[in-house]
Amino acid sequence: MRIAISYPPIENEHGQKAMVSQNRNVQFFKEPTYLLPVTYAQAATYLKEMGYEVYWDDGNSQLKTFDKWLDDLVKKAPSVVVLESTTPVMKFYWKTVDLIKIKLPSSIVIMTGYHSMRKPEETMEMSNADIVIRSSNVDFALHRLIPFIEKNKNWRDDYLGEGMLIRLENGELRSTGDFRQVEPLDSSPLVDRDLVQWKNYAYENGNFLQTPGTYASSVIRDCMFGKCTFCRYNGPDLTFSMMSVERSLDEYENLINNYGVKEIFDDSGVWYRGKEAREFAQGIIDRGLNKKGCYFGINTRFEYLDEATIKLMGEANFRFVLLGYEAADNETLDRLNKGYQLQHVESCLKWLTKYGMHPHLTIMVGYYWQTQNQLDNTVAEVKRLMISGMARTLQVTLCTPLDYTPYHQECIREGVLLTDNYDDFDMSKLIVRTPIPHDQYYKAVRDMYSIAFHPRFILRQLMFLTSFKKKDWQFLFTYSLRAIRRVRQHIFNLTRHQNKTSSQEIFVENN
Amino acid sequence: MNSYPIIDIEHLTQDTFMIRVDNPNIPSKSGQCFNVGLDSLGINREYSMYSSADSMYLDFLIRSTEGGVISSALKKLNVGDSIEIDGAYGEFCLNEPINLEQQYLFIATGTGIAPFHSFVETWPNLNYKLIHGIRYEEEQYHFEDYQKDLYFPCISKPSDGSAGSRVTDYLLKQDLSTETLVYICGNRKMIVDVFNILHSKGISGDKIITEVFF
Repeated sequence: MRIAISYPPIENEHGQKAMVSQNRNVQFFKEPTYLLPVTYAQAATYLKEMGYEVYWDDGNSQLKTFDKWLDDLVKKAPSVVVLESTTPVMKFYWKTVDLIKIKLPSSIVIMTGYHSMRKPEETMEMSNADIVIRSSNVDFALHRLIPFIEKNKNWRDDYLGEGMLIRLENGELRSTGDFRQVEPLDSSPLVDRDLVQWKNYAYENGNFLQTPGTYASSVIRDCMFGKCTFCRYNGPDLTFSMMSVERSLDEYENLINNYGVKEIFDDSGVWYRGKEAREFAQGIIDRGLNKKGCYFGINTRFEYLDEATIKLMGEANFRFVLLGYEAADNETLDRLNKGYQLQHVESCLKWLTKYGMHPHLTIMVGYYWQTQNQLDNTVAEVKRLMISGMARTLQVTLCTPLDYTPYHQECIREGVLLTDNYDDFDMSKLIVRTPIPHDQYYKAVRDMYSIAFHPRFILRQLMFLTSFKKKDWQFLFTYSLRAIRRVRQHIFNLTRHQNKTSSQEIFVENN
Repeated sequence: MNSYPIIDIEHLTQDTFMIRVDNPNIPSKSGQCFNVGLDSLGINREYSMYSSADSMYLDFLIRSTEGGVISSALKKLNVGDSIEIDGAYGEFCLNEPINLEQQYLFIATGTGIAPFHSFVETWPNLNYKLIHGIRYEEEQYHFEDYQKDLYFPCISKPSDGSAGSRVTDYLLKQDLSTETLVYICGNRKMIVDVFNILHSKGISGDKIITEVFF
């Protein structure tokens, strides 16, 4: 039985490609970022280990056109095609599902992803998908489902594994109930790097300070906190699962010693904290992996890691640390359920930089309540943190309600959503009614990215980069070039709607 | 600053204690959690509400763990010291209005009993059964707050040297209605094992709500 795990390439009218993977927000980029969809890579590995022929089919990272991707898929004629999608590209995916069903009528098409898992009936209505998996644990779901399909002709009627919406032969839909929220993550295999052609993801990724880099099999599935209202990892249907420290260390050792990676990023919603974080960092040191020239990166939260843990992580060669800094006012943090207090932001950043790490702030603007004062405050604080050297890099996004998260549902409930066309949810423009004109938020984005060109910031960066253990000016040059290219791209993506009458009209119309 | 003075601390075992502050009047529902921290540490951790949602106090049941920076620091506090509280968060709640005919099964390990204590304090007439997995007898925290015939401790290391029991052993022997709403709170392994048992007894995932504590 052949199973395809497929990511069709999507291109917009600007020639930009949509990057869809794992829990990533879909954004269109001219200069692509190829992110390994980790859970799906584990699913592929799981199925391969069970003896199935797996076709890892990421048309984006394999640089295919849509037609070439489809031709190749049709030639492979898999028995099952697994797709992952999210709000802004749902319409594209529904069309693609139907196209696959025309070209490969006997193939079973399975739709997954955080949008369709929360609106499974919608996907069944809008496309000819055979199954919607209502679980974020796609690896475990497929591990149970595929052998059953293989052995049971009447699988549509008989499958009892939870978390599925199945289309029956007569067209009716059958639900097998809510999915299990906690899975034994140690049972899902570590990613087979050769199967997923890891080098396709090893270079074009802004989270890598040096290359080749790779994503670790995430130690936390979904998020240990899981309460932030805008995040996909929030909802009554989600909690988290955790991988053991020793298992993750084994993977790092294998990646460094056998694949020669120079950077490993764990894209868990939030990485370990407390005891596990310290055990992991100590394990890296004990195995000598901190002396192999490889950097480690993670996502974390403010008020999650204490100074002693951060110190140990510094010794273990952690560098890139991504932190959500959604706004600089407590009202917004409270409304977003962020769960930290502003007065602790600075101490966390100081600890990180003190022990040699590279804090990367992810900021959002454009909440439907955000006032000019709140916005100005955020811009000023971000400038202060960046220019003073407490944070090294940043990324600004327009807060876009997605995938029926609590924030998305709140926007619907409050009547502030300006469109219900999913194509408009691609994070390139604001789609909520706001108390000030949208242009003010676009200006704030530009102001924050422009910090990269501030002489004091540049001086700080040079001092920081030359302090790296790797005294390599070529590295400094290539990293800086990549950084500038990405800053320009982000400014283009997020401000191209600035000064367009449409956004102003939306604002005026609704006020 | 969301800083609140501690008005009472009750040490229940060598490692477990209950901290009480005045109810900060933050909108909250029984079963939700708060982030609790100390200003001097700059970090926080999530703890479920232990008290009733409408109590004049907000209580937390905390177990000090080896290497647990926050729990160890909290254990050293005295009445009058302050803690930082953010919240409330989470969806591990009963659907309201409460249907007193609905049969609930609550399954906890250790301090994972906290949200269930809050449920029972908030709705004393709930139609529930509580299974509590613990290592020692002394970990039956405030067992007198539950109706005696509704609280079932599963003690893995009884002091009399008799064979211990676990939540999973107990569940395997039970006849359960497929209409029972099951809430599980505690460690991940227990949750995975319990889910498998419930599934084998015909209880659908729609009826199982989980909260991972550790």
